Amino acid sequence: MAEEKNLTKKPVVRKKVHSKVSMNRLKILVTTVMRSKADFYMDYIQSFGANMQFVLYGHGTAPREILTALGLADPERAVIVSVIGEDHVPAVLECLEEKFRTIVNGKGIAYTIPMASVIGKSVFNFLSDNRSQVRRG
Amino acid sequence: MATNTHELIICIVNNGFSDTVMEAAKDAGARGGTVLNARGTANKEAESFFHIAIQPEKEIVLILVPLNVKDAVLHSLYEKAGLDTMGQGIAFSLPVDNVVGLTPWKAAEHKDAEEKK
Repeated sequence: MAEEKNLTKKPVVRKKVHSKVSMNRLKILVTTVMRSKADFYMDYIQSFGANMQFVLYGHGTAPREILTALGLADPERAVIVSVIGEDHVPAVLECLEEKFRTIVNGKGIAYTIPMASVIGKSVFNFLSDNRSQVRRG
Repeated sequence: MATNTHELIICIVNNGFSDTVMEAAKDAGARGGTVLNARGTANKEAESFFHIAIQPEKEIVLILVPLNVKDAVLHSLYEKAGLDTMGQGIAFSLPVDNVVGLTPWKAAEHKDAEEKK
């Protein structure tokens, strides 16, 4: 009886041990652009402190009338997935929006998705570009 | 840049069914999407046990929709490309915080109307 009680209590105790990150949470930044502009946007996003990003190649499905109205005749797209700290997000999105407006054929869409959890301190520091947290030597 | 005005719907279907998905989504109010090619994996043992063949070639359709049409789109996908259909689709949505680069729908419509005139 006593053992059973212990068993049911265990997960509750474990839950308390979890530390919760409340500072600089990570976000997944998804940027959809024309394939020819993928490298440019990847470099650009990296300059804002995104240490890990990858690109997926797909194709868009918007109706042709809308595409031509927006000046996007080519359906080949690149979806750039980057992991970035929350504090960088406003700056990145603002600059991306400007690039979307000003670059020829550079139109795109960007949005962020909150990341629920990450395991590993060094992984978290790497993803959120916490250079000061790394001991050197 | 607006907060919590959109959701990202991810729909995973068998290869060749992305058109079905986009049609269903557009009927419910979505505007466009991006299709990615992918390879699915399944439990081989369970596959033979249930006598079901899982096609490994998949397509992932990403659709960014406004919050107010999200439920309609998900329902439409479930009906027209759900697991009971040939597409064997799974659809779910993720919250999205900040969206930039979307052309306002009303403005685009207006532009089209002007061009027709």
